[in-house]
This record gives sequence, C-alpha cells and structure tokens, in this order.
Amino acid sequence: MEKYKIIEHRADLKIKVFGKTKEELFENAVLAMNDYLQPEIKNSKIIKRKILIKSFDIKTLIVDFLSEILYLIQTKKETYFKTDFKKFTDTEIYAFIFGRKVKKFNEDIKAVTYYDLEIKQKEKNLWQATILFDI
Amino acid sequence: MISKKDFIKINDWLWEIPKNEKMNVPARVYSSEKMLEEILKDRSIEQLVNGTMLPGILKYGIAMPDCHEGYSVPIGFVGAIEISNGIISPGACGFDINCGMKLMKSQYSEQEIKPYLEKIAEEIYKEVPSGLGQGRKNKISIEEINKILEQGAKRIVNLGYGEKEDIENCEANGCLDWADSLYVSEKAKNRGRDQVGTLGSGNHFLEIQKVEEIFDKEIAQNFGLFENQIVIMVHTGSRGLGHQVCTDYLREFIPLMENKYKIKVPDREFACVPFLSEEGQRYFRAMAAAANYAWANREMIAFFIRKAWKKALGEKATSLEILYDVAHNIIKKEKYIINNKETEVIVHRKGSTRAFPPYNQEIPSKYQKTGQPVLIPGSMGTSSYVLSGVEKGEQSFFSTCHGAGRTMSRHKSLKATSGEEVIKNLKSKGIIVKCRSMRGIAEEAPLAYKNIDEVIEVVHNAGLSKKVAKLTPLAVIKGE
Repeated sequence: MEKYKIIEHRADLKIKVFGKTKEELFENAVLAMNDYLQPEIKNSKIIKRKILIKSFDIKTLIVDFLSEILYLIQTKKETYFKTDFKKFTDTEIYAFIFGRKVKKFNEDIKAVTYYDLEIKQKEKNLWQATILFDI
Repeated sequence: MISKKDFIKINDWLWEIPKNEKMNVPARVYSSEKMLEEILKDRSIEQLVNGTMLPGILKYGIAMPDCHEGYSVPIGFVGAIEISNGIISPGACGFDINCGMKLMKSQYSEQEIKPYLEKIAEEIYKEVPSGLGQGRKNKISIEEINKILEQGAKRIVNLGYGEKEDIENCEANGCLDWADSLYVSEKAKNRGRDQVGTLGSGNHFLEIQKVEEIFDKEIAQNFGLFENQIVIMVHTGSRGLGHQVCTDYLREFIPLMENKYKIKVPDREFACVPFLSEEGQRYFRAMAAAANYAWANREMIAFFIRKAWKKALGEKATSLEILYDVAHNIIKKEKYIINNKETEVIVHRKGSTRAFPPYNQEIPSKYQKTGQPVLIPGSMGTSSYVLSGVEKGEQSFFSTCHGAGRTMSRHKSLKATSGEEVIKNLKSKGIIVKCRSMRGIAEEAPLAYKNIDEVIEVVHNAGLSKKVAKLTPLAVIKGE
C-alpha cells in the first residue's frame, strides 16, 4: 500500500496519507513529514524519544502529534523513521519515536495546519488523512 | 464555487461580493479584471468570504491583488475587527508572525560597486545562515530571548549590533510595548535560541539591488533614494519561534472557540477567541513578543550584512542606512473613522503591508511629509518596489500588497524548470545567485509567481499606496 502522496497546492504542502489502521496512518504521516524535509543524516546512531499528547478529537490529535514531532525535529536536529505506539485513542497518544541526528535539512516546514483536515476510514483496512503543512 | 459573476465591479481596480446572510460585511478584492480571473483559479476568494464571517469584522474583508490560497483567510488579507465584540484570530495572522521587509541604502552607485559585487554577495552568504539544521553557532540563553521578546530590535541595538537610527527607521520602533515573554512557551523560546540572525527558507531572501527607476522624485529624495543606487533588501520573519507561538495558540484556542465561546466560523484554523478575553489578551501579547523577535532577527541580519559589506569593501565601505523595516503578517490596534465615529479596531494583516499616509503620528518625523516607506519584494530575479503610504489608503485600513503572490505550486514549479536553468537565466541577466539548494531555487522560480509590475499597478491605481522607486536585483542570496 502506498504510504502517502503529495497533492497539488499553490503555496503549501498538502499530503494524502494512508494506513491499514489509525496507528499506521499516524506513523505514515510522520514519515511523510520527515521525507519532505530531506534530511542529511549525521550518523547511524539510533535515538529514541517519548511522545505524550492529549487532544480534543482525532483531527486535532494528528495535528498536535505532528506538531510535537516537528518541534523535536527542529530543536534536536533529528529525523524520525519509526513510531511505536504504547497507547492510542482518538484523543491521546503515548508513543516512542526512533530516529537519527541530522547534519542539515534541505526543506523547511513552518507548521502543521488544521485547515481542510480530513481523517476517514475509506474501507476495511484503509484509513486516509489529508493534511496541509505551511511551508 | 465563486465566479466572476458573483462580483460587482466598483471600478477598474476594485471588485466586491455583496454581503449575504452568512457574511457580516462585503468582501472586496483589489485587482485588475485579468488578475481577478487568475485569483479565481484557487480558493483565495472562498477564504476571503470566510474571513467576512468573523465576529466583529467591520466595513469589508479585503484581499490584495497578490492574494493566494492559504489557510483560514487567504495570504493577502486585511480585516479590521471591533474591539468590544470582536475576536482575535491567530490563524488570520499566520505562522510567520511579523514576516516583513527591511531595506538598507548605500551611498554607492551600481558602477562603483560592480567590481566588488561577487565578493559582497559571497560574504553576506557566509555571514547569514538559513538556519535549517545549521543555526547560529552559539545558542543564546532563555533570559536573553526574554529580553529580545520584550525589547525587539532595541535589544540588538543596545547590545551594540546596530545603530540608534535603525530603531527610528522601523515600524513601531522595532518593539511592540505590549509584548509579554511570559505568554510565550518554553518550546517557542527554545526554537528561537539559535535563530536570531538567520534567514530561513522558502521565499525568504536577501538581495543586493539597484534603484532602476524613480517614479516620484520628491519622495525618493526624501527617502534618500537615487537612480542606480545600491540597496540591500531583507525578507524574513520570526522563524521557528513565531511558528511555535502560532502553533501553541491554535492548539489551545480550537477547543475554547468551539466549547467555551461557541464561536461559529467556517474553518477551525481561525481558532478565534474574544479579543478582550483573558486568552485573547495572552495571544495578543505573545504575538507581539514574536513580532519583536522578528524585528530583532532582521536587525541582527543587518549587522551581519554591514560586517560583510565592510569585509568586502575594506576602507571603501561607507555606512549602510536603513530606509525602513515593515511587517506584512501582524495584528495591531489602530483607529479609524467608522460610521462617523473614531473606532479602535484590531487590524489583522496576513500578507498585507501597513502603508500609513503623511502626517500619521506613528511614522518617523522625517517621513511625515511623504508617508511611510512601503517595501514590496518581487519574486526572485524580478523587480521589487518602494512605495509610500497615501491618504486614500484609508479605504483598505492603510494596507497594501506584500509581494508577487504564488500562482504555481512548488511541485509544478519543480517540474516546469530546474534550479540550474533558473540560475542560467538569472546569470544571463547579469544576476549573481548564492543559494544552498538547487531545489529551493527551482521552487521559487519567477514563473511560479504573479507579475509584480501588475500587482503594483493595481495598488498604485487603486490609491492604496504610491509608486516611488523600482528596484532590480544584482545578486540574490537564499537559504534552502
């Protein structure tokens, strides 16, 4: 299954993300965000970070979750490739993310927006989200 | 789907969608007929109409000719909101709080600088990092960040990195005095620790330009501008700190808007709360703090440009003075005559530049006769403009355009051209390019933007601001 695809947008970055489960959908959204930034990896040492997010509903949860990771990406200068969810509900995430230190990024994302956000189950074993990033 | 037939033509430069039962005020677009057709190709007008539904909005929701689709309101929006019954919307200011322009003037002509141009561009490129994964080498302390948040560009000057006159030549003297660092999160402050004096990416840039054409001799003289003069333009904002302030308040305000205040707006991204609420006031103070950070950032960049200028020119280096520094993403209190009554409003400008007229008390004494200098960047490799504020600009809450405005996605731009091709074209025009990413150059190619000359004609003819001088690039310095 395709993990995500980029949708045409005049000024910002719009992505459509897919997953068999909500957890996989969220994990693929993390991958899409990290791929877009085009990180240049510093070394192969794996870094593990804890994420704890409580939110209003599932739509705000995905934005808040990605915003938290974007904050870590930018302040720790790291990129993340794997998410291990310990707890996942429509309003709460407790997870560990795994990544590596980065020399530099070749693209920038200013923020994750709530604009036109969609999360829906298209069919059994297919969740889909549309997310707009301000770049 | 909104189309041209939904508009009433007010004049050649102004179009209006009359108020309907959902809108609190009419929607107005400053545009030529040709540009309006282009604007209608994306969701800008739908987003403008959404903006007219904001509680407390007065007179009109306004879009500029350079407007394009964003989130909440379009980029290129102005809205004035009533204080007593109105809201404040972090989404209608945007993530890049106080993204804006600074213009530095030299006393040299193009001919005098030409032999040094490559060296100056190279030195500036070395001195001003983009800040993507390689910020400034030393992280400044949270205590120092707090001082910057509350004192803005003044803090940079007080530390010895700028000239006293720089402060006067800056909107609000480079410091909004209602800023309070207490309402800026630790996360936001952390993002700002290594980014004072960094450019960022995307459409942010530095350009060495020459004054190509003077339209108004008297005002140009007052501004200290002359034909063929070398000037340096800076376009950047509050970087990660501003982005985080907006992110934090959107997150906090969406549940408040929907549950506590039960405000109904067509888009969550507005995330608005009553301006006079405790929460609204906190955001207003945090937004001001981020705006101060942006003025400090541009002032610090000016310091590095002056350093590079001296290094490249040696004994020949004369001073670089600031013409002006002005924001195009900001929320401020201003007074207007509305319904024959002086009314204080909260002006939300998102991709729109303040353009105060002559004799406005908020602009420096030396610009009292001319109106405020207004700095409008073009797309990479095309012209930029210096305009001045005019009396007639009151129709748009003394606001004008902010740039060229995108017409093509970055993805399409990458398909349509390559960084190498763009650089080749710029070089053929004699323009030097210093950039950290070929992809970044292709994404910002001039073909992805509206024609800046057409945008300026609209705001000039509509009476929002007046053409003073046209600037053309000699060297472009960009981040990723």
